[in-house]
Amino acid sequence: MKKQLNLNVNGQDYEVEVEANRLLLQVLRDTLDLTGTKEGCSIGVCGACSVILDGRLVSSCLTLAAGCEGKKIETIEGLAKDGKLHPLQQAFIEYGGFQCGICTPGQIMAAKSLLDENPKPSEEEVKEWMSGNLCRCTGYYKILESVMAVVDGKTDPNYAFRKRETTAKIQSLDVYKSVAKTSSD
Amino acid sequence: MSKAKNFSVVGKRVQRVEGFDKVTGDSKFIADIHLPGMLTGRILRSPYPHARIRSIDTSKAEKLRGVRAVVTAEDTIKRPWGAFFADQYILSVGKTRYVGEEVAAVAAIDPDIAEEALDLIEVDWEPLPGVFDADEAMLDGAPLVHDDKPNNIAMHLDLERGNIVQAFADSDIIVEDTFTSMPQWHCAIETIGSVAEYSPNGKYTIYMNTQTLFNARYRIATALGVPETDVRVIQSAVGGGFGGKSCDDNNALVCAVLARKAGKPVRVINTREEEFLAGCRPRVFMKINVKLGFKKDGRIRAKELKVIADNGAYSAKAPAITGVAAMRHDTCYKYSDVKLEAKLIYTNKIPTGAFRGFGNPSAEWAVEQAIDLGAHALGIDPLEIARINAAETGYVSPHGNRVTSCELKQCLDMVENMIDWKAKRANKQPNTGMGLACTVHVSGKRHFGDYDGSSATIKINEDGKALILSGEGECGQGVHTAMCQIAAEELGVPVEDVEISRADTDLTTFCLGAFASRLTYVSGNAVKNAATNVKQQLYEQAAEMLEANAADLISRDGRIFVQGAEGKSVTVADVARARLFRHNGAPIVGSGSFDADSVLPDSTRFGNESGAYNYGVQAAQVHVDPLTGQVKVLQMVVASDCGTVIYPIGAEGQVEGGLAQGIGYALTEGLQFDEGRPLNPNFSDYRIPSMRDMPPLQHAFADSYEPTGPFGAKGLGELNMDPTAAVINNAIFDAVGVRVKTLPITPEKILRALKEKKG
Repeated sequence: MKKQLNLNVNGQDYEVEVEANRLLLQVLRDTLDLTGTKEGCSIGVCGACSVILDGRLVSSCLTLAAGCEGKKIETIEGLAKDGKLHPLQQAFIEYGGFQCGICTPGQIMAAKSLLDENPKPSEEEVKEWMSGNLCRCTGYYKILESVMAVVDGKTDPNYAFRKRETTAKIQSLDVYKSVAKTSSD
Repeated sequence: MSKAKNFSVVGKRVQRVEGFDKVTGDSKFIADIHLPGMLTGRILRSPYPHARIRSIDTSKAEKLRGVRAVVTAEDTIKRPWGAFFADQYILSVGKTRYVGEEVAAVAAIDPDIAEEALDLIEVDWEPLPGVFDADEAMLDGAPLVHDDKPNNIAMHLDLERGNIVQAFADSDIIVEDTFTSMPQWHCAIETIGSVAEYSPNGKYTIYMNTQTLFNARYRIATALGVPETDVRVIQSAVGGGFGGKSCDDNNALVCAVLARKAGKPVRVINTREEEFLAGCRPRVFMKINVKLGFKKDGRIRAKELKVIADNGAYSAKAPAITGVAAMRHDTCYKYSDVKLEAKLIYTNKIPTGAFRGFGNPSAEWAVEQAIDLGAHALGIDPLEIARINAAETGYVSPHGNRVTSCELKQCLDMVENMIDWKAKRANKQPNTGMGLACTVHVSGKRHFGDYDGSSATIKINEDGKALILSGEGECGQGVHTAMCQIAAEELGVPVEDVEISRADTDLTTFCLGAFASRLTYVSGNAVKNAATNVKQQLYEQAAEMLEANAADLISRDGRIFVQGAEGKSVTVADVARARLFRHNGAPIVGSGSFDADSVLPDSTRFGNESGAYNYGVQAAQVHVDPLTGQVKVLQMVVASDCGTVIYPIGAEGQVEGGLAQGIGYALTEGLQFDEGRPLNPNFSDYRIPSMRDMPPLQHAFADSYEPTGPFGAKGLGELNMDPTAAVINNAIFDAVGVRVKTLPITPEKILRALKEKKG
């Protein structure tokens, strides 16, 4: 049986028609093409599918999409604004809070939901909260360091990912000027 | 004087090249790849550990609306394949040998229909008696897993170096015990998956989340019976490998057969349960009897190892792994006389295979505890025993491994200081103890033909940026960043000006992939050689522009100039464009290769398996609650000798991640089997460590330089998985005087041991 749903994802309204038994994870990934949310264990243990639903952290692999009618959903895709990373995203790069990156969207959403509620958690509170998000690569030390860097305001204020903004200026114009110059020589 | 050298890019805390995509969710993992018209494939798996298939009727499944293809072994050429022994098929041929084995598969327009179709496939089974224990499997009359393998023996190694009888006779004390290790699942948060397309012209294009593309291509081509050129493997982002994604399973093969029959792209992704049942090949279960003879002064005089390894139903890489378990550790200490016997035994369980450490964690679990037993028997500090016997630069192991750099003694000093070993031991608290273990690993392993090399191509784009084309396997560990740093260092450009492609067997040159801690060392050398080649081309063009000799030029920060005359320079971008945009122009592009100076082991396994050896030491302080048996790891310290650290964030991540897997292996990870049937194939019952399980950790890298490595680097990835279980158990023994001898070390086992000790 199909069901009409109104979802608000990252501030944008969507009207979708899905089978009544579809999970939020499936609707985000397969219907809305928001594949940043990942499936890890399918039973709500690993946290890879974490999203924020009306301000609460949930496992989207256990959440029926039909129950999200009219609710506000935040996913990893909504964090970076105008090409500028969210402080948590920046910290995860600066402090190496990921290796393969499959659990990273979930880790970042979990951390965000904690910091939204309590911007100054202790290290112990972060550890306790983040223990619902499994990672097989990092051993967690650098995830903890990344989150604490945001808590303690230790991220680089002049951050630019691999200096893309500066190198982007070289671009093709310069190349073709050079072509023009070469051929006119 | 420091052995480390100063570099401009190497050793700097640069950012991960894939960083942006990883933190925004934009990385395309296998489940994120969607091709037009793509179908979902699902696999029918054997419910029996051992059964004959009398017949399979797929007609009902084929008729279900939305089903596009149903395949069985009849759709394959029934050619066996496997990494070392060809003993498995794409889909069962006549018989299944473990619960989860692939029997048939379906491709349909959506997952629900595919699942429904599986239920409509009718298999006429004849269950057969199975064998689930390696010791029982060797007995005469035990059921045979493969009819042509008497007593279920897949491999038997029996070697002696020196004179073991004499060596034990010369020993002042002898210790002996048996330690059992358990299988361990990789538990990458992304399961194995493939997306395959087949073109009627005969070409398969397969997206895979594999860590070893060219090995995958070779195995797929073999099993499908087509030339390698007809198989193109493109790597998606890989959500964790750890050896589990090194293509010993049938996922991509089933996917390819479905795609050919359906005439549409097909995606097959393992569920978490399938991953436990039949996806990644878990660590080989081993029972290791170890006997060590010591002189009174602490020197090891003799070592004898007897290994019984449970292969599971098919071989994958277990033959090589069993050899490593029996022999690798002989490169850690200065051994003279050693004997080993290793048997690899077929059982009706999931095939075992490669997992970070490759046999070494099982061996170190046993041998490093035997060293500890020796230390206690002799009344010598375990750290001193390690120091007395530690390998050094120039050591040649009894099996021929030649050590070109070794800072094991330095690592012991570092660990001693970091954990305050002597003071803590002197001031021992009740139920609290200290333990340590040493570890050795390789930087590549020569066992794929007589080759342990790599190759890379670098091209300079019109904007002066370098692009590395590499077929090696970035699988999340961050080696691509290290490769970019190596290229940047050699080219004299900022690391931000170097990019790297993903691997694609049609576009990149032959590479063996990610295993044996080989990439920084082997592919790093190949990238460095490619960069040297490219730099030479840049210098020749720049020499023309600067009216100078190419031999007098140097490059730094993206500019090329005459040494000592930095005022007049050209940029790499200027040079690349000048070389290209002109009559008879050509892009700047160069390749490089490297093959380690190691020696393929001969029929007696004598050789030199790797180009370089990495060393390390871990120590722990634990508290054991005598009432509950609970172990709390109070502190861990780690020192690693990986030569020059190229990419510090990545290197630290390898240490920390390896340690976490070691802690899981030691304390919580275990799958229960009932007659070959796994009872807890999920993340709530198979418990991997979470953030709160990780102890306070201090770690550091030794001051070290490997002469054959790129800028002095060698491998690191597996080193810190290997010794952790022994470290923790040695500390538990120091704390409460009991030693659990099977993994994982659970509170129940500790309590039982404490009870037995009390009598």
